[in-house]
Amino acid sequence: MAGLELLSDQGYRLDGRKATELRKVQARMGVFAQADGSAYLEQGNTKALAVVYGPHEIRGARSRALHDRAIINCQYSMATFSTAERKRRPHGDRKSTEMSLHLKQTFEAAVLTQLYPRSQIDIYVKILQSDGGNYSVCVNAATLAVIDAGIPMRDYVCACTVGFVDETSLADLCYAEESGGVSSLALALLPRGGQIALVQMDARLHQDHLDTLIEAAMTACKGVSKVLDQVVRQHLQEGSTLRE
Amino acid sequence: MIKTERILHLRRFRGRKVRVVREHYLRERVPCFSSLCQADCANGVKVLPGDLTHYVMPDADVVVDYLEILELKELQGIIFTQTACQALHSKGRRFYNRLRSLVKDPRFHCVQFANEFQQYSFCPREKGESQEKWQTRCVYSAAVWYYNHLAGMMNVVMITEDEEAVAQYSSLHSGVYVVTVQDYLQNFWPDLQAAQELYASISQALEEREAEDSQREFPEHLPAEVMEAGIKSGRYIQGTLSVNKHRAQSEALVQTEGSSSQAMDLSSGVLVHGGKNRNRAVHGDVVVVELLPRSEWRGRATLLTEGQGDDRSPDDGQEKPMPTGRVVGVLQRNWRDYVVTFPSRDASQSQSRSCQRVLTVPWDRRIPKIRISTQQAEALQDHRVVVRLDSWESTSLYPNGHSVKVLGRAGELETEVQTILVENCIHVPPFSEAQMKEMPLSSPEKPWRVDPAEVARRRDLRDSHLVFSIDPLGCEDVDDTLSVRSLAGGTLLELGVHIADVTHFVPEGSLTDLEARTRATTYYLADRRYDMLPAVLSADLCSLLGGVDRYAMSVLWELDAGSLAVRRVWFGRTVIRSSYQLHYELAQALLNGEEVRVPELERFCPEEKDLKLAQLIQALEMLTRVSRHLRLQRDRGGALELEGVEVRAQLDKDKNITALVPRQPLEVHETVAECMIYANHWVARKIQESFPNRALLRRHPPPRLELFSQLVDTAKAMGFSVDTRTNKALADSLDRAVDPQDPMVNRLLRMMATRAMSQALYFSTGSQPQDQYYHYGLALDRYTHFTSPIRRYADMVVHRLLTAALELEQGAGPAGILATNRELEELAQHINNKNWTAQRAQSASTGLFQCLFFRDRDPQTDLRCVADAIIYAIRDNGVLVFVPEYGIKGPVYLRNKEGQVVSAEAGGSCKWQGGKVRRYPSYITTTTAGGCSATFRLMSHITVRISVRSSSCHSDTLVLEVISNQPHRGSGPPASQGHRQLVQEVVRLAESAQQTAAPTHKLSRQERDFLQSRTPNLYSILEEIRELALMDLDALSQASEQTVLTVPDPLP
Repeated sequence: MAGLELLSDQGYRLDGRKATELRKVQARMGVFAQADGSAYLEQGNTKALAVVYGPHEIRGARSRALHDRAIINCQYSMATFSTAERKRRPHGDRKSTEMSLHLKQTFEAAVLTQLYPRSQIDIYVKILQSDGGNYSVCVNAATLAVIDAGIPMRDYVCACTVGFVDETSLADLCYAEESGGVSSLALALLPRGGQIALVQMDARLHQDHLDTLIEAAMTACKGVSKVLDQVVRQHLQEGSTLRE
Repeated sequence: MIKTERILHLRRFRGRKVRVVREHYLRERVPCFSSLCQADCANGVKVLPGDLTHYVMPDADVVVDYLEILELKELQGIIFTQTACQALHSKGRRFYNRLRSLVKDPRFHCVQFANEFQQYSFCPREKGESQEKWQTRCVYSAAVWYYNHLAGMMNVVMITEDEEAVAQYSSLHSGVYVVTVQDYLQNFWPDLQAAQELYASISQALEEREAEDSQREFPEHLPAEVMEAGIKSGRYIQGTLSVNKHRAQSEALVQTEGSSSQAMDLSSGVLVHGGKNRNRAVHGDVVVVELLPRSEWRGRATLLTEGQGDDRSPDDGQEKPMPTGRVVGVLQRNWRDYVVTFPSRDASQSQSRSCQRVLTVPWDRRIPKIRISTQQAEALQDHRVVVRLDSWESTSLYPNGHSVKVLGRAGELETEVQTILVENCIHVPPFSEAQMKEMPLSSPEKPWRVDPAEVARRRDLRDSHLVFSIDPLGCEDVDDTLSVRSLAGGTLLELGVHIADVTHFVPEGSLTDLEARTRATTYYLADRRYDMLPAVLSADLCSLLGGVDRYAMSVLWELDAGSLAVRRVWFGRTVIRSSYQLHYELAQALLNGEEVRVPELERFCPEEKDLKLAQLIQALEMLTRVSRHLRLQRDRGGALELEGVEVRAQLDKDKNITALVPRQPLEVHETVAECMIYANHWVARKIQESFPNRALLRRHPPPRLELFSQLVDTAKAMGFSVDTRTNKALADSLDRAVDPQDPMVNRLLRMMATRAMSQALYFSTGSQPQDQYYHYGLALDRYTHFTSPIRRYADMVVHRLLTAALELEQGAGPAGILATNRELEELAQHINNKNWTAQRAQSASTGLFQCLFFRDRDPQTDLRCVADAIIYAIRDNGVLVFVPEYGIKGPVYLRNKEGQVVSAEAGGSCKWQGGKVRRYPSYITTTTAGGCSATFRLMSHITVRISVRSSSCHSDTLVLEVISNQPHRGSGPPASQGHRQLVQEVVRLAESAQQTAAPTHKLSRQERDFLQSRTPNLYSILEEIRELALMDLDALSQASEQTVLTVPDPLP
């Protein structure tokens, strides 16, 4: 059997999207009452749950405290039932650790940590179902959770993966595309200022194509930010009507 | 954003069953690609016409099994559903790519419809529904959608092979018909005989496949993932199978790609011995082999076998066992169309039990016999037929195929020429109506004129420059002209090369362009040629004839008058009027100061004439000076000269050839060639700088030194030393290796050097590192083809690149429409392949004519069958010789099958007697039982008799037999005389045979249809001379380009 055709001649991808189209994004904020902030986000078949605690005092070793800003503690995990075959180790493996680190870097760039010196913010993200673009879904879910917790940020952090195939950039890759030999790039953006919080790529790509790929990623991120903005506004509206 | 919806797909992977959930987005707007569309679909350029009686939508199994029928040009309005395409995709990527190119090609009226992404035509697979049923349902619902979408204006016919579906759906919906393929072809296309026959032959082949008996002849192939894992781990080796032409039954070699990780050296390939080990692989397939244990390794056979004409195989170390393996699987079948011959009755009766299955013998010896199921076996006896392979089951000794097209009776000239075309995958249909419609009108009454608006956009050189062309006498398609003048009071020289602006008339993507791209080059066979562009372009509008306004692409250099250094280069589109259409001899005579008549000057009065003549001569002199300088520059860099025979054609008033006379090489040839090389070089620099990773250039890789061993050894035997380390050293040492007694020695040495060269290639700059751009033969760092857009597609691509580069300079941004590096590399590969097939077809047709020439002569009595030959290589049981008179190369056996050897008598004549042969590096000796001996030395002349061994299934071959070890006495006639006679005579015979046998005017009709000349014209003769001169190296194509000329068809 021949390999999958990721982009047909008529410009359709495997799941029927065009090259620049995102998957369907659905989200809810404030899914748990006990945490300070929480959010649930679906991007296509990738589903993630994000929970935020804090800002609060430093737990554990006090020496970690920074005198001028808050530290951000991230933990990424995947549910054992999130993949087609049951996962043995939900968190703590090398991949998860790396992902946690990436999330931490992303949010250190976005959260106004200097407002909370000598304190700590915890962000826990869990992938419930995995279908490609895990990192970006986590970032998007965590953004909503941080907003839900009322922690001030410079802007939404929106992330998206893009891939490059047949001289075309594909936005928001699904699992079949990610594993089908596309060189993919993950980018987290602060959309209003157009600042990049994090870029991550470990595939081979010709230097000439990098600019177009980043351009495509930024457009996709802006698309995501519109959806997130809508979700936040709707959530606030619901909250305010409830209180009335 | 768009409305989306998610649907779950269940999918099971190989091995372990895994449930995979995939998203599936549906949308309302999916383009329908019909010109009848009422809903403003975003249809592209290619739409189905609205004036058809119906659209046809084939079911998935029809597409999978009967794609060939759907590929017929006559069937119009085909809608391929996505469902069907995916079914084909899972059958194999090759089939899918065929479909893709079909859909892309605007010459075929078919489109692809993404039915599974259309909200209303998609139907999810139900639980327990079989894949086939679901596919049929999908296609039907797409057909219904189409009918409704076009508001009932067009009937849609769905064709399927599933009888149940016909019963179930046919009465469901008016306007959507469901029929079987057979009914469809019979009712809708009753006149299309080809489709019906094709259907019959395919369906019969399919049935046969099912009814196959189960006795196993071959081991099964391994599954794909096992092979892949094996290749990765180094247990198996992947490579392309090439079958030895002379031992097709037993010997095949697998050429490996990249060296394996193992310590052993597999660079020379892996031997596959015998049919069992080959395991159903066919020549050209990509196979996976497993090495056999070392004890079973064997060497290649070494002796010259009957019928061997190739002298490329290395002649040392043959006894040594080499890695040997067996095929465990086939990764990719590379089956093409094959020409086979149906056996005559007496031969076929013995083997055809059911009389419907016939074993046919392919023309290509490397292909195994093919079993064809047909009702027409009786009628097709001794006919050549085009067939396609369908399958080769492990239970069958032979592959199964089906016939596609009947070419004609074996042995007839037309059949044999068509055979050569098919075997080389050359497809040259006459230019279609639609393509001709794209051409501008030009008739003798109303000649085509330049458009003033277009002239305004171009630089006008009509009055400012003295433009002239130098070509062989009688040339019709002039694609290059020259100009030279002094500027700035004589301190600067301006040299100009003006090339026909073909791309102005052939826009990218037009039908003519697509046709030209498919052909890639003009094909020259021994007796005819197939043009790349329609004649209206190649012989008229794009031909830079004298005295008329023509569009051109020009390169103008400003050179320092003293040092000849380049000051400035200008590229651009121009309009020119060539003042003189000179020919080489005339130009040279002018340069030599001889009194000659220039036809263009006849109408002037004497004073004006002298003035003009002086101007022209001055220009020619300047040109000569410049090109000498350029040549010197390249010579310093190490340019090679591998020239062979130069022949001049003499013509009478009707432009018939009266004689071919060996020609003194004129300096003006080199002058023109040098200017063209210079233009090509500068254009290459320009486009490479503008598009560093997507310019089409031409490179000539340096040859592998070990290939020179034969040349070095031969030269050493003759007492010359040849240094092959660099191109400069090689050129110098070849110049020194001259035997004053025998000019043929130098020619043969140059010929061997040429054979050792690698081929020059087109490539895209993005796919090679910059140090690989070098052109070895011309000693230039960058080179491309720019100067013959009329007969090479590569030149057209380069013209477009140059235009884009110029537009880019002016600030316009055309870069978007240019081909990407990958597309360009694919195109370059395509053009390279087509060039090789063109070369192969050309030499095959030359061989065909040689055979036809000698077939009708009695070798014992006819004097023309005896010729002088030169020994140029020694083998174990014979020698390889070159016959200059006819340009034939071939083996001469000194020992025959009965063990007899050739012995020479006093007068030099030879006889067969029992004895032995001994081989030495530079000579070979035969000793008979009686004590007589004969010695044959390298480079000595002998006399051979030429006869033909005919074969009903394959091409005929020439047999050379030594009759004397002395030079042929009557080697009087000039080298090419025989050649010219040969082609003319064969054609004349074929024509008279045609007229007597069948009064149909097949040939002349063909001529009308193809708009192409087929009589022996001067062009083909010169092309053959080129072949004879063995100038297949690109370095000389520039020189030979100047010998390209066409003679108008002598027939009305």
